[in-house]
Amino acid sequence: MPATETAISATDILEQRSRRDARHERLFRWLLKGCALLVLASLLGAAGATLWGGRDAFSAFGWHFLVSSEWDPGNEVYGALVPVYGTVVTSFIALLIAVPISFGIAVYLSEVAPTWLRTPIASAIELLAGIPSIIYGMWGLFVFAPFFADHIKPWLTSNLGNKPDDGKLSWVAEHVPFVGKLFGSDYPFGASILVAGIVLAIMVIPFISSVMREVFQTVPTRLKESAYALGSSTWEVSWDIVLPYTRSAVIGGIFLGLGRALGETMAVTFVLGNAMHLSASLLDPGASIASTIANQFSEAVGLQKSALMALAFLLFVVTFIVLLIARLMLRRLASKEGR
Amino acid sequence: MTDSALATNPAPVAAAAAVAPKLIVRDLNFYYGGFQALKSISMDIPEKQVTAIIGPSGCGKSTLLRIFNRIYAIYPKQEAKGSIELDGENVLDPGYSLNRLRSKVGMVFQKPVPFPMTIFENVAYGIRHHEKLSKADMEGRVEQAMRSAALWDEVKDKLKQNALGLSGGQQQRLCIARAIALRPEVLLLDEPTSALDPIATSRIEQLVEELKSQFTIVIVTHNMQQAARVSDLTAFMYLGELIEFDQTEKIFTKPGKKQTEDYITGRFG
Repeated sequence: MPATETAISATDILEQRSRRDARHERLFRWLLKGCALLVLASLLGAAGATLWGGRDAFSAFGWHFLVSSEWDPGNEVYGALVPVYGTVVTSFIALLIAVPISFGIAVYLSEVAPTWLRTPIASAIELLAGIPSIIYGMWGLFVFAPFFADHIKPWLTSNLGNKPDDGKLSWVAEHVPFVGKLFGSDYPFGASILVAGIVLAIMVIPFISSVMREVFQTVPTRLKESAYALGSSTWEVSWDIVLPYTRSAVIGGIFLGLGRALGETMAVTFVLGNAMHLSASLLDPGASIASTIANQFSEAVGLQKSALMALAFLLFVVTFIVLLIARLMLRRLASKEGR
Repeated sequence: MTDSALATNPAPVAAAAAVAPKLIVRDLNFYYGGFQALKSISMDIPEKQVTAIIGPSGCGKSTLLRIFNRIYAIYPKQEAKGSIELDGENVLDPGYSLNRLRSKVGMVFQKPVPFPMTIFENVAYGIRHHEKLSKADMEGRVEQAMRSAALWDEVKDKLKQNALGLSGGQQQRLCIARAIALRPEVLLLDEPTSALDPIATSRIEQLVEELKSQFTIVIVTHNMQQAARVSDLTAFMYLGELIEFDQTEKIFTKPGKKQTEDYITGRFG
């Protein structure tokens, strides 16, 4: 009978359909897993390749590669201290400047700014994030570094540094330890660790502030209203309520910016001065891991090439340690809040 | 029609005349941008009594509550006109400091919203904003506030834990403790039990009964039985207007207006 036939074919179709669905589901899961494993594979591959490429340098210098500040291709002596120090300090300066400013931008855009102004500024920030780093580098080299050398550096050296132009030590340089060393410099030009840090700060502000703005918008209105209802000011609501509520995402955003700062190559190469010597002064030129590689890879052979590879591996290690510290910080903060 | 009725009878609180008014609302209009949400509200809210505001969704009852502590002022384009006198001073006057207003008028919101900090800090946070207290004094104040909010016995052993670990009802009592820790004179409750289960709800209602000896309480509720249970006076609002305001018993037994009667008997809303 036609009625039963239709019924049978209907169940057949259903069964076929569920078999096909199961097959697709399996395939889809494998595909997803493959995508995720690709990340792991490229990370391990890159770390492994640089470690393997740097094996000659590591075996030739051992621990000295990490603690020596000597980098002398003429005599085939390589130590990573100067570029590692330069990388860490420029990134640290960048965060020191970028985090408070980004917080200000994000609070303004999510709490204070009139609605019509929010979208234009947010788009402007995204545009800033899209500018290629070479443009920041050019601006830093041709515009900011000369300006810094002419107008800011003289003030810093004579008011804070231990090598003032007029030979008279300022009160700060005499009485506050370390400050004199940080701002004393014999070099007349602008390219320096501090300038690189400032340029990096400008480059990472868009990243950090747009993450902060986005997560600040997820804070429930009720939570903020409750704090306002107790008499809190906008500052207190932002600092005591919004920031703790979004803490882990904010720290995530900061480390996104830090990741960019640690690895930034072109802009830093332009404004860091590329001097392979260790100096406590922030106004002296220095080198970073990425800038050293960018400057030397084209003519490097043999042990020098291996040393550059080893440097690249150290960048992995530095980034990993920084992320580890972030994790520990998060955990300590959480225990303070009674979680 | 209602407008003229209100105009001839601006303060329908004759029944509560024995008690001095704490808040005197006169000709209050409220605007969300171009939309007028409250129309010429006038009422006297008596001291140390519970005043309930009822009405269907969107009638403006929460809006009215949010004007008493000017919490609406954190949003641009929201505007109140008219006057609300608290102890003879107009709190809508821009010269009336928000800080002072919010220490006098506390508020508890619909859903419990503990701050992302410890249970102790949740209550201490507001006090710290207004007063400098020694550690011992602070502990005393926090304990007192938690006792008043009937929460102390449940949390005294876990003050250092995160407040998000408490149950919904406990969180809401924590929010009440947080509000009364500032020793306000008026306590605004905006549907404080709408997110709670019946047992937690009855605890909060019991608490409201206890607190009214110390505070002037205004409670917004969509639950008419709750209004009948906890309040001394009830205001019925509809479409931004105050339709009727009288003793709770009278509102629920022989309401003066047809609209009130329709609402409380469930014919609309």
